[in-house]
Amino acid sequence: MGSITAGLAALGAGLVTIGAGIGIGRLAASAMEGIARQPEATPKIQVNMLIAAALIEGIALFAAVICFMAK
Amino acid sequence: MAVEQADTGAAVQQYIMHHVTDSHEWSLPFVRLELPGPLTNHAIMLFMGGLILVALFGLFYRRGALVPHGLSNLLEVFVLFIRDQIAIPSLGDADGRKLTPLFCSFFFFILCFNLMGLFPAFSSATGDISVTAALAVVTLGFMIFGGIYKNGLLGFIKCFLPHGVPVPLLFLLGPIEFIGLIVRSAALAIRLFANMLAGHIVIFALLGLVVMFGWVALPAVILTIGIYFLEMFICFLQAYIFTLLSAIFMGQLYHPEH
Repeated sequence: MGSITAGLAALGAGLVTIGAGIGIGRLAASAMEGIARQPEATPKIQVNMLIAAALIEGIALFAAVICFMAK
Repeated sequence: MAVEQADTGAAVQQYIMHHVTDSHEWSLPFVRLELPGPLTNHAIMLFMGGLILVALFGLFYRRGALVPHGLSNLLEVFVLFIRDQIAIPSLGDADGRKLTPLFCSFFFFILCFNLMGLFPAFSSATGDISVTAALAVVTLGFMIFGGIYKNGLLGFIKCFLPHGVPVPLLFLLGPIEFIGLIVRSAALAIRLFANMLAGHIVIFALLGLVVMFGWVALPAVILTIGIYFLEMFICFLQAYIFTLLSAIFMGQLYHPEH
């Protein structure tokens, strides 16, 4: 595992995690704000939050798979 | 000390890779079975999971009872959830009711195989790109052939050409939209596959820390238990997301809103 390609693949995976973390963090923040403003809409907000989180995580895992193959 | 840690590091990585990929042997607790011919580990999992699902819905579900109890009630909760929250909102009333068995098949198939990966002697068949690609091909087939059946060939092609766009641009946008269709199905496959694969690799890697560093790494076991529970939640979530996105994509092609 001491090659440059493997090191760069690991670096790439780390960068992907930053992107996914920022995206899902902002998503969670606005979901929390929505629930705080209108607690009776909580189930709808939760369902949509989960769907959006799964989509964003899908993109992150694309890149993770590519990093796996790159090493 | 550093050299032998690097050695066990490489050995641990090989152990992880060997356990999450498909192979011709099946490691049970005290015995390692060599599987013959075309059978592999994940193929055996597929057979067992199929038997479990058929037994669950065929034998254990009491069809004649007017009021469901216990296991039948639990299965009915899931099926009603799929019909009322996934199929009918995306596909309308008539199509939703007709296609609910398909979505139930997707949901219970993916759920069963995801959960089987969390048992000690089994591995998850959905952690294999072939299985998830097969599911995505089923969705793609329903999208394409169902779209042609419902809207006719010309109507199906018109789904890919948005309104109010000048004609020269349509030659660019049409193929892009069609490629988008195929990319969305591939995304379905990769999302499920990568989620399952990554979950198992994380659990194995954390336990591999204990192998490499000895008793100092025992808090890693507590973290592993936490991630195990997260894995259980992700199994349900990924089954739901696959089914929901399939329904949404099919609804977009069956009832184009432009």
